[in-house]
Amino acid sequence: MEFGDGKRDVVDPEVRAYVSSLVTALGGSGADEDGRYVLGDDALACLRDLKKWLKLYDEKANRLDVARCLAESNLVGGDLLQILAAWPENATEDRLKLKIALACLELLVPLTWPLEKDTQAMTVNHHRHIPYLQIAQLGYKRSIINFDGARILHTAVRCALPSMAEAIGDRSTRDEGIIKLLLYFVRNIAMIAPPPNIQYEGDEAEISRSATVDAFDYQDILHLLLTVSSTMGEEFNTQDVVLLDILFHLIKGVDIEKLFVDESKADNTKIDELKRLRQKEAAMLRSYQTNAPTRHNRFGTMAWMQREDSKMTTISGQSAIIDSTKSLAKMDSTKKFKPPRKALKGEKGPLDFDTPVMLNVSATKHLRAFVEEFLDAGFNPLFGHLRKAIDREAERILEYHPMQFFYLVSWLLEAERIRRKGKKNSKSQKPEDVDSFSLVASVLNQEMFVTLNRAMDQSFENKSWQDLSAAMKCFTQILLTVQEMSESPLEDDQEIAENILNRIFYEETTHDRVANITRTYKDQGFGYLDSCTELSHNYLRILEQYSKQNVDMQVRSRRRVRRKKKVAKAAGEDQGDDDIDESDGEDESKAEKVSSERKFDFKRFAARFVTQGCIDTFVTFTGYYNDLKPAQLKRAHRFFYRVAFKQEMSVMLFRVDIVALLHKMIKGPEGLDPQASCFKEWDELIKQILKKCIRKMQEQPELVVEMLFSKINSTAHYLEYGYEKQTVSAK
Amino acid sequence: KAKQAVDAEVEITRKPRAPRVRLDENRLLSANGIPKLRNRAKHHLKFKGKGHEYSDAARLLSFYQLWLDDLFPKARFLDALAMVEKMGHKKRMQMMRMEWINEGKPKPDNDDLF
Repeated sequence: MEFGDGKRDVVDPEVRAYVSSLVTALGGSGADEDGRYVLGDDALACLRDLKKWLKLYDEKANRLDVARCLAESNLVGGDLLQILAAWPENATEDRLKLKIALACLELLVPLTWPLEKDTQAMTVNHHRHIPYLQIAQLGYKRSIINFDGARILHTAVRCALPSMAEAIGDRSTRDEGIIKLLLYFVRNIAMIAPPPNIQYEGDEAEISRSATVDAFDYQDILHLLLTVSSTMGEEFNTQDVVLLDILFHLIKGVDIEKLFVDESKADNTKIDELKRLRQKEAAMLRSYQTNAPTRHNRFGTMAWMQREDSKMTTISGQSAIIDSTKSLAKMDSTKKFKPPRKALKGEKGPLDFDTPVMLNVSATKHLRAFVEEFLDAGFNPLFGHLRKAIDREAERILEYHPMQFFYLVSWLLEAERIRRKGKKNSKSQKPEDVDSFSLVASVLNQEMFVTLNRAMDQSFENKSWQDLSAAMKCFTQILLTVQEMSESPLEDDQEIAENILNRIFYEETTHDRVANITRTYKDQGFGYLDSCTELSHNYLRILEQYSKQNVDMQVRSRRRVRRKKKVAKAAGEDQGDDDIDESDGEDESKAEKVSSERKFDFKRFAARFVTQGCIDTFVTFTGYYNDLKPAQLKRAHRFFYRVAFKQEMSVMLFRVDIVALLHKMIKGPEGLDPQASCFKEWDELIKQILKKCIRKMQEQPELVVEMLFSKINSTAHYLEYGYEKQTVSAK
Repeated sequence: KAKQAVDAEVEITRKPRAPRVRLDENRLLSANGIPKLRNRAKHHLKFKGKGHEYSDAARLLSFYQLWLDDLFPKARFLDALAMVEKMGHKKRMQMMRMEWINEGKPKPDNDDLF
């Protein structure tokens, strides 16, 4: 249809007429009723008709026309929410009201359903409507969680309460459907966020994560989540994936350490943070000022550099005459040519979990309380259940669910560790008060390792980097948890941890996988880089500690095993194990042998990380040094230290770009902040590496050429040991 | 006749574009390339040694930077380094590298001893 001014309507006018007449017939508020909302005579039928329109026109014909019309006619804010709000708490018995509320919910779910953009089925209509609908959904979310008159989400829960109250065996398909409807509604609300390429024009604070968490707390949604997750497997069964979805969208990107800062200390840390940032900024400005011109910009200094063959290079600007490095830098900066670069392959959709999210004070408090309760009650049932579903490849498990699963497990394990740390610091505990790790036991069993290993293999093969990144995070957190378990005062925990470590230590395929992943990093984005360096750092560190475990500890653990067996024997269980008869002396000799074997094994394993690929990965990571946190910088530091001094292959670091990076980190411009805590250790390390490098260059002049290239292993060995070996054998 | 004239006009002789200068093996192995680097390193690259790690490193870096500026003036230092590094994976370069290293070894058959 063409309007008078020549504009064309994007929707079929007939459809628009039908839909808007339905919306009008639904009800409205007028001056006669003091502005209250009054339902139309046939409101229920209207709601059902609208649902049919959405289903039979939009879904069947794969268009979004009806959704667009409904967005334009303000159905959600003007009608549905008003209707839901008019259902008072004490009118639970009213069947008609329940029916109408349910019908509203049935409309709200498809309207808030996430719009996927990159499906094959997209038509012109999708391209036309999706940007509009995305903005409209933000509006829906805003009005739902900020509705003044009533708690909309809470009302939605009330719709499903009768169905949830039924025992799992007695529920009809309709009951199951209603529960699912409610959970998907909550999921949609949690998931709606401004798309990355669109600037939201309203108040961001009204739809931010903080607002969502606060609304969920105020409207008792968090209680709902706790109830469902803690009874997963008993009262609920197939709802686990929706719950996973909700939790993922609720906590992705939240900084755990900030979440668990003590409230009394929170103010202090905020001030400290401000101080730290001001200092960082001051350091940055200082480094700019040392390079800034001291005179006005038309002062017109011109310098030239005498090169060999009586060649001259002219450089303009005052900075050129200060010293030769600055004039060289200036010469470099005037060049225009840029080699072609590939863009980073990072995920930027709703599944992205690397973008950090800030929470305000009240949201932090609520989320923290929720996380603690969830760890206490919901973690094991929910994640045990999900793991089984993933292993079984159940139909409801979609492609992205394993990734969410691994991300959540890693996030919650870290939260649990930080919570324990907080508890330990708060008061000195007696051994009997220490919690065991059973709260998170469901993800520390052998089946979980199998699932995790398979997922890592698959995503590595399929090049689905986001999935791999989540799985790596999960593996890292499991490792860290196991390590803490091995230091637990409880003997049972120690034993379990030792068994797990033992298995990991001798699993060559895992070694290969970790080393391979680290070796093959190439433009997967910073989030991936962070996960893979974190994994390899912790993997190396924990296995090293394990290999260093002294003879003493092994003797103790053997004794423990023996004592247990004795107890078992005394209890009457017959076990044909002759280990029991060993004496203490034998224990020690055996332990010594084992520990020396382990040391050798570890050395062989660590050598896999001294390849050029792994070093390049860590160099790329270090390149972000100005944005890295102290813990991340430490990771890079330890790796270089390991390469240069523990594995004695510093030659691998002798490459001009690496030397340039290391030099820049300390000497600037835009180097590390000299006041930062880690500056000193970096300074020391880099000095040692450079010293070695200079010495090597003098000893072996052919390194001049090799400095330009990645070394092949045999050459590297010659360069590193070539002469030294000779002197050693001559002695 | 008129048709012929039109046909003649259609033929436009376009000058072929000047080939882009590349940092390839040939350039790297030419007299201005690595041979010059080796030569200059032998005669001009001097270090102060202990206690002057950073200034020595700066000297080393500017040594490479000037050499690359002569060899391939259009690219920035770090970009050019990445290009050179990539060249190093080529068969021919690897052979040359082995050769240069072997030149440095004191005796060619020394390897068999160990």
